[in-house]
Amino acid sequence: MQLPILSILIFLPIVGIGILLILDRKHHKGLKYATLAISLVEFLVSLPLWFNFNSQTAAMQFVEHREWLPTYGISYYVGIDGFSLLLIMLTTFLTPLCVLATWDDIQHRVKEFMVCLLALMSGMIGVFVSLDLFLFYVFWEVMLIPMYLLIGVWGNPARRVYAAIKFFLFTMFGSLLMLVAILVLYFHYGKTTGTYTFDLLKMYGVSIPFNMQFWMFLAFGLAFAIKVPMFPFHTWLPDAHTEAPTVGSVILAAVLLKMGTYGFLRFNMPMFPEAAHYFVPLFSILALIGIVYGALVSMMQKDLKRLIAFSSVSHLGFVMLGLFTFTMPGVQGGIIQMINHGLSTGALFLIVGMIYERRHTRMISEFGGLCTPMPVFAIIFMIVTLSSIGLPGLNGFVGEFLILLGTFQVNKLYATIAATGVIFAACYMLWMFQRVVFGKVTNDKNKDLKDLSWREIAIFAPLILFIVWIGVYPSTFLDKTKASTENFLAMMAKAKSTQVSQSHVFKGEAQ
Amino acid sequence: MVFSDPILLGCLLTVFLPLSAFALIMIFTRDNPKLSLAISLVAATIPLIIAWTFFFKLGGRAPIIYNFDWMVSDLVKVPFGFLLDPTSLVMFVIVATISWLVQVYSIGYMAGDPGFGRYYADLSLFALAMLTLVISSGLLQLYIAWELVGLASYLLIGFWYEKFSASEAGKKAFVVTRFGDIGFFMGLVFLVIFYGSLDIATVNSAAVANSMPPWLITTSGLLIFCGVMGKSAQFPLHVWLPDAMEGPTPVSALLHSATMVAAGVFLMTRIFPFFAASATTMTVILAISTLTLILSSTIALAATDIKQVWAYSTVSQLGFMAMGLAAAALASGTLFAGYYHLTTHAAFKALLFLCSGVFIHHFGTNDFFTMATQGGRKLVIPMACITIAALALAGIFPFAGFFSKELILTALAHLDNKLWLVLGLFGAFLTAYYSFRVIFVMLFPKSPEAYSKVPGHIAHVEDEAHGHGAHGHADDAHGHGHDEHHGVPWVMIFPLLVLASFTLILGFCQDYLEKLLLGASHPHAMNYFLLVAAVGCALSGIALAWLDWGRKDAKCVGFISRFPALQTFFIQKWYMDHFWRWFLNRFIYGIFSKWFTYNDRRVVDGGVDAVAFSTVGSGRLLSFIQTAFLQYNLLFMVVVLAGVGIYLMMGR
Repeated sequence: MQLPILSILIFLPIVGIGILLILDRKHHKGLKYATLAISLVEFLVSLPLWFNFNSQTAAMQFVEHREWLPTYGISYYVGIDGFSLLLIMLTTFLTPLCVLATWDDIQHRVKEFMVCLLALMSGMIGVFVSLDLFLFYVFWEVMLIPMYLLIGVWGNPARRVYAAIKFFLFTMFGSLLMLVAILVLYFHYGKTTGTYTFDLLKMYGVSIPFNMQFWMFLAFGLAFAIKVPMFPFHTWLPDAHTEAPTVGSVILAAVLLKMGTYGFLRFNMPMFPEAAHYFVPLFSILALIGIVYGALVSMMQKDLKRLIAFSSVSHLGFVMLGLFTFTMPGVQGGIIQMINHGLSTGALFLIVGMIYERRHTRMISEFGGLCTPMPVFAIIFMIVTLSSIGLPGLNGFVGEFLILLGTFQVNKLYATIAATGVIFAACYMLWMFQRVVFGKVTNDKNKDLKDLSWREIAIFAPLILFIVWIGVYPSTFLDKTKASTENFLAMMAKAKSTQVSQSHVFKGEAQ
Repeated sequence: MVFSDPILLGCLLTVFLPLSAFALIMIFTRDNPKLSLAISLVAATIPLIIAWTFFFKLGGRAPIIYNFDWMVSDLVKVPFGFLLDPTSLVMFVIVATISWLVQVYSIGYMAGDPGFGRYYADLSLFALAMLTLVISSGLLQLYIAWELVGLASYLLIGFWYEKFSASEAGKKAFVVTRFGDIGFFMGLVFLVIFYGSLDIATVNSAAVANSMPPWLITTSGLLIFCGVMGKSAQFPLHVWLPDAMEGPTPVSALLHSATMVAAGVFLMTRIFPFFAASATTMTVILAISTLTLILSSTIALAATDIKQVWAYSTVSQLGFMAMGLAAAALASGTLFAGYYHLTTHAAFKALLFLCSGVFIHHFGTNDFFTMATQGGRKLVIPMACITIAALALAGIFPFAGFFSKELILTALAHLDNKLWLVLGLFGAFLTAYYSFRVIFVMLFPKSPEAYSKVPGHIAHVEDEAHGHGAHGHADDAHGHGHDEHHGVPWVMIFPLLVLASFTLILGFCQDYLEKLLLGASHPHAMNYFLLVAAVGCALSGIALAWLDWGRKDAKCVGFISRFPALQTFFIQKWYMDHFWRWFLNRFIYGIFSKWFTYNDRRVVDGGVDAVAFSTVGSGRLLSFIQTAFLQYNLLFMVVVLAGVGIYLMMGR
């Protein structure tokens, strides 16, 4: 019998929370070591997923299906395919690094912090593995709370409450609409087939009239678009990032935002394929606006974290653009770009966190010449910056290349506009890098900054390994998603043939 | 498999040795100058040997191609591989040789610099990128190497990162060339989608066999040329190159001769049949490169910084090469003229920069008027070498530049419209003038007062902030003062002699190279009119320079000062820098960024904040009892879940 790896991944952090609760709250180091150990075990448990994953098939793997509330058709149904595999690996890979990053950073309410972190981890895994809409929604909501607390309790005292509530309101607003849509879907399925179920894979098969798809797509889409975040729903992101503690920003950027894009890929598009085709222009244009807008606003930022936050808006615009091409390179590029963004932006937030620990400021103008006191830091910062602007040989390039290729097949104008985002990225990232790292040390407080410790180098080493690996040999990762992407595209293509007639129907009704 | 095939092994070594040198130095030996130097030199010498061996062994053979799969997605298969044919072999030799010479030269130039190890790591990265670019078999791989070349230049131009202008120049080089690279990239995307392959050999043969739609060739040709404009500093993207002299002088030598800027022209020769298949593309290239030639030659007339003069001369010679290639393509000629000029130019331009480096190192200034008055000509060998190089640049027989310029002018003469030829000749005249302006000032210095009227020249020796600061870093570190006029170290002299002999020999290798590149050498019908015209232009340029700067009672103001408006125009570099700065500040920052940021704060956020602020009030209230947060949220969750439950009940 196969081990229920996915369940272990979901529940191990919860067991971990139990262990933490027993431990003495004053013993900070002990709490941190315990959390580190739990997250490392979690990572080790997730490794068999990677190695035993069969990349030839698009079917769900490591499936566990148990009845939960059979009267309502709710089941505990988890499984993964190529899309979720990469995101789960990213999550389990980043969490131990995040724990390491809290070593000196978090000094009060350590126990609660670690509990939040583990709860967050459980929630994130849950979102990526759920194949039952109800289960998915539970995890989606559960995850909000620890994140809200991370920002609201351990954030920057000045504006943390504002940022936390803004984050919460935005996301909650979207998910309530999604909840309504899930219920509508549930009853529609029940009416047409006679069985009431929340089973996602069964939902894929059911035919939904176009005008219903239209509204459902928007309801789900809004929840996910807020999470991504797509323009114009992005304004919670800079505040949340700026006020959150380092680790909060890292997880927010690296994993939480991916839930939005993942949601589009897993729920929105396959369930409402006709509507998805119908909305391609709208979402592509919003993605393009996000790319250019995020980049241009980044240029004006004075705060390191805000700058990186806006660059996230730009990068995730690329992901969305890729997914909405419904082409092989576009979708694969979108997925690989999700991972890339997780690695690069996660690393950037860690970098900012490290200088924040030393200087207690994030203003770009406060820095300058850090290359002299902190040479190792400067090298790592440079690699990550270059990865973020998509230098060939590092990961960002692979994603951007595939996305632009896919976009180009569909619409040349979109591709051209998106390509300008690449130039802007070089402008603002290099500008930031220059102001922080190059030049003479003008501020006396920067003169004797300590270079990175071994612990800090150990956090970056694995990140950089993968940044280079994806850049040099992306096939390792592309192969895993190939079958799933083909399957996804086949589903979308089937819908496209019927799309024309149905959009006529819809327009007829609208008149 | 790898070891049984010496050619493949050679290619792999060429790529991986500099790569491992870069990694080793960066990670382990950065603080150990001697060890870093040794690693880097080993990693530069072996590719040098490989390059020359390949050159002689494989020169006449059919192209050798290796391909390995790299990135496979549905319709894109991107192979990684090597293509060894005459076009790449010649460039391979040039790059390997010049980067080796520069590494040797830098032993002396950079001695004592605190960043010595880092410098050699960056040089290795540069070699890696450029060598990969030269021998790559596919255009995407070439593009990747192309970007890495940009990265290496960024690092080396901004090498003295403590200087604001240096890091600024590095950034400018990166961003401006990237601007062009987007075009290049889109060109590649066009090709891969509408043609399906990025393999260089396939693309070339398809263009020759007419199996590609003409619109595709024109569109992607023009887009790819955008990349060339960026890298090879063609108008209007030339603005980064003159600033790039902020880097150490050996880096400028490398940048201006065999690597960064040569990459663009090399790309044009690499897919020359493809470019040549579209007359529209070639006409555009011809126009842009001619404009570049005239623009940069006129700016060089007025420059007072020795490196700046050579920088603009590089821009103009690159324009000249592109003109040669475009003209040859339009008149169904061959790539030889442009390629040959690239080869000879690599030798004499590297020589010019390395010689200037000796002077800069010695006198601690970049201003050649100051060098002259302080006795620059007493450094006999560098002075002789720089004169040889300037003669070659001006195109005087029997130096290498003469032969290659002659070929390009011949190609221009084949065009129906003779205006191009006239402009080319005018460029040659200006080139001769500004290069001998430097030489005559250095050879026959006048009293410092004589130069006081030169605009831009800083008259007082003490006031050498900009010159000395250029590598004050290096100087402070090893206490190289003015009273300590030690001789120039042999590691710096040796590369000069090698390059000078190349400058002398290369002119006579024309037939050999042509045979190698084209398979057959065509005896050239001497066009005597052209010969006389070209030599006449060069000589009159030199003569004018003599009248203005060389002879005993020269006025030392330059003929251009009779046209003050023009002079200002040239000194201000045709206001191109101003234009870009204005464009950036006014439009990108002033309008878009500012307006968007405002929009983000006020408009998009405004509506949200109305909601949010009202909640913040309750949030503040709650923050008195901070622990209540958890309960509050749990309550919220319970309400939500209860809502779900109610919905479910109602559904039944």
